[in-house]
Amino acid sequence: MGGLGNNFCNLPSTSSEMTCGSFLSQQQRTFIQMRTVLKVVDNSGAKKVMCIQALKGKKGARLGDTIIASVKEAMPNGKVKKGKVVYGVVVRAAMQRGRCDGSEVKFDDNAVVLVDKQGQPIGTRVFGPVPHELRQKKHVKILTLAGHIA
Amino acid sequence: MWAALRSRYLHPSATSLPSSSLINRPWKLGFLGLNQTFSSSSAESSSKELLSLQEVEKVLSDVRADDVTVIPVGNQCDWADFMVIATGRSSWHVKNIAQALIYKVKQKQKGAKRLVLPSVQGQETGKWIVVDSGRVIVHALDEKARTYYNLEKLWTVKTVQKEPVEDLTKAFVKVRRINNSKKPAQRSA
Repeated sequence: MGGLGNNFCNLPSTSSEMTCGSFLSQQQRTFIQMRTVLKVVDNSGAKKVMCIQALKGKKGARLGDTIIASVKEAMPNGKVKKGKVVYGVVVRAAMQRGRCDGSEVKFDDNAVVLVDKQGQPIGTRVFGPVPHELRQKKHVKILTLAGHIA
Repeated sequence: MWAALRSRYLHPSATSLPSSSLINRPWKLGFLGLNQTFSSSSAESSSKELLSLQEVEKVLSDVRADDVTVIPVGNQCDWADFMVIATGRSSWHVKNIAQALIYKVKQKQKGAKRLVLPSVQGQETGKWIVVDSGRVIVHALDEKARTYYNLEKLWTVKTVQKEPVEDLTKAFVKVRRINNSKKPAQRSA
């Protein structure tokens, strides 16, 4: 929390005290990059994966992008095992993403759905809400497996 | 009655398909019968979307796809009205189903300056191809993928799942803990 790196709190004027409070209470969320741990929200067997490469984007992956990840934690009898390198589609991201009507959407956690190299989902069900952006990004398969669409 | 059905079809997003069970049966049994009466109105109703339901059915029967199932999901989700699931006998057959649907869309839009094609996902592998044409989404799977993903179970069970929750909340009865203490019961004076 102390690493926000702005010196607004040192300003004595009262007008900036309100902005100083709002800056400290909200975190600046950023892209999903190497070493980001994400939750897996399908029934493929994995529980947590760590991103090792964001396929598109120099700074990192956002909502709806594909990443390469390594499985860090898995259920004992699942389709993927710990240590396997898998592809995944980001379905929930803490970083806000702008929609075409000007609104922004952001979630509380970072979640991913595992897919194979051709884009076929490995699991058969997706839990939790998924955003509409997946339709534009050609991930209609994940939308059909999902129960709740944000 | 035909006018009512036609108006319901022209505005699929506005209505919530109150008698979906009534419509569901004719699709599987005698949809071709409805097809002929709709032919006069199909010209105006199908120009709004890329592919309409009757055209999808016709193309799938031409390609000889197995086990065509139509699920009305308009009441469950707002981004699609119908899901059509078809099975192909081999991966080549599945790819052929997708190609036939795209060909149909191209034929419909002959003479237009710009072609609006439906988005197709999964075209390289013949396992599961999704053709997204607006309100109607067509899934072409092969046998193994169909049993693996079990899409019908997912989309027909959704409406049933919401009802039992209300019964559960009514069924909550306050349960008193069993008093196993050996102390004599205190009498309040």
